[in-house]
Amino acid sequence: MSTSPSLQNPPVLHGAGTPDAPATAPSRTQRDGSNSLGTFGVKSGLAQMLKGGVIMDVTNVEQARIAEEAGACAVMALERVPADIRAQGGVARMSDPRMIKDISDAVTIPVMAKVRIGHFVEAQILQAVGVDYIDESEVLTPADDEHHINKHNFKVPFVCGARNLGEALRRISEGAAFIRTKGEAGTGNVVEAVRHQRAVMSEIRKSSVMNEEELYAFAKEIQAPFHLVKETARLKRLSVVNFAAGGIATPDLYQADAALMMQLGCDGVFVGSGIFNSGDPAKRARAIVQAVTHYNNPKILAEVFIISFCLVRVANQVQISEDLGDAMVGLTILKGGRMAKRGW
Amino acid sequence: MSSPNDASAVVIGILALQGAFAEHEAALRRLPLKRQIYPIQVRTVEDLNKCAALIIPGGESTTIALLAKLSNLLEPLRQFVKTKPVWGTCAGAILLSQSVESTTAKKGGQELLGGLSIKISRNGWGSQVESFEAELQVTGLRNSQQPFNGIFIRAPVVLTLSPLPNDPSIEVVARLSPRLLPHNISGPVKDDDPQTIVALRQGLHFLTTFHPELTADDRFHEYFVKECVLPQVTVP
Repeated sequence: MSTSPSLQNPPVLHGAGTPDAPATAPSRTQRDGSNSLGTFGVKSGLAQMLKGGVIMDVTNVEQARIAEEAGACAVMALERVPADIRAQGGVARMSDPRMIKDISDAVTIPVMAKVRIGHFVEAQILQAVGVDYIDESEVLTPADDEHHINKHNFKVPFVCGARNLGEALRRISEGAAFIRTKGEAGTGNVVEAVRHQRAVMSEIRKSSVMNEEELYAFAKEIQAPFHLVKETARLKRLSVVNFAAGGIATPDLYQADAALMMQLGCDGVFVGSGIFNSGDPAKRARAIVQAVTHYNNPKILAEVFIISFCLVRVANQVQISEDLGDAMVGLTILKGGRMAKRGW
Repeated sequence: MSSPNDASAVVIGILALQGAFAEHEAALRRLPLKRQIYPIQVRTVEDLNKCAALIIPGGESTTIALLAKLSNLLEPLRQFVKTKPVWGTCAGAILLSQSVESTTAKKGGQELLGGLSIKISRNGWGSQVESFEAELQVTGLRNSQQPFNGIFIRAPVVLTLSPLPNDPSIEVVARLSPRLLPHNISGPVKDDDPQTIVALRQGLHFLTTFHPELTADDRFHEYFVKECVLPQVTVP
């Protein structure tokens, strides 16, 4: 792909079904002459505005509205939540652009959507639909087992997963404006996300005391561009926003996982399957939003937990917990294998 | 959080419920000022009570308002706005407005703090692919002849100014060229149309629809501290 996708000629939307589907977003570049749209500053800037917030997986307009009312700072529009992708198997692709557009029309907060690793045409389509952020995600089936999307070619910003500093910096060098951990989505087990966050932070701390010769060797070792390694060492943090993702939504105590990731240095969290498969999604969603804001205040966290415990108890009484157990695939078994290995 | 080591330091709070609060804190710490200022993050009423002034950062206005409500901060914030200087950037600017254009607000309406006699439209330019950077002409800042690089991210648009006769007057600090306004604004827009206003001051309060905290240029932070905050603080 040598040129950025034209906004004047939207690609044909396979699966959208209607010829009048997604209108393209008008561009001011023609009017202005100078190209100030989609700079890295506005791409990484939007991620900065999401900090301290919770991004929730939603599969329809009703869930998106509940998430917005509960204080989500953005929603991730999906056809199937990761727990279902694991359970059902098969090739998981980009969601129906019409569903994404309906969600965009229903809420005022940013709408994100996932594309398959390396599938730049899916990304062109989502950019034409007008999504606010694209997640090049290992949760979907990879379309390319060697290359990621050249994200510099797009006006829409990208978030990508990373297990360690080298992977994070490779994604940033490809144009990602936002990084997240690659915890195992749909398992309800936070251990992988913790491992990735610990790895990134530890490698940054190590690099921050290295001299230039050592940084050259370190860049080679972690397979990352030297200038990004040097910049990270100087800043003592990633140069873009870093969220926790994958396995943060266990059926009951997920606020504790979210606060744990925040105390480990994440800027915010993505939460998935748990919320909308639970007894009272609105209250649970609100509790996790509060837990992320007050992650450092155990007194407020305790109050939030008490509400959550009551919900679990009520849910048990009305037998909702069985459904919940089904939806969350299992706490330790990684059915469908480890997704984090996808991405190169 | 430790207390300021100088008792005369001016405590400026940054509402830290959600959004880009750390960037504002860093910008305030960078300011070279004779009078010591002490930025703190505000998440509770106790935090707010320590502050002589407040910055409401960019983020999601619906999220910030909901968290303020859940933290019992909404009414204390409304009282704060009545007597102390407040600066709102982007989402913060929406919260400081008197009203939000209903078609752009969250369905079912959203909570505001008020403080500025303006009507504002959320996500004025549309989705993120329309976010942009632009050089702004500024007045009243240090080195005003030098333009300011404004970063507009899903930014709101000031629709109308509606000060009552007894309200403080509105001073425009920065405007955007009319040709950069959103496409859905119909008809020719004059240079002095309210929709071109991207930074303004009314009485104690200050508003920017863009993000000075994302740039290394600290002139807007300096303006807020020197023009809005310090004149209100009496030396003990």
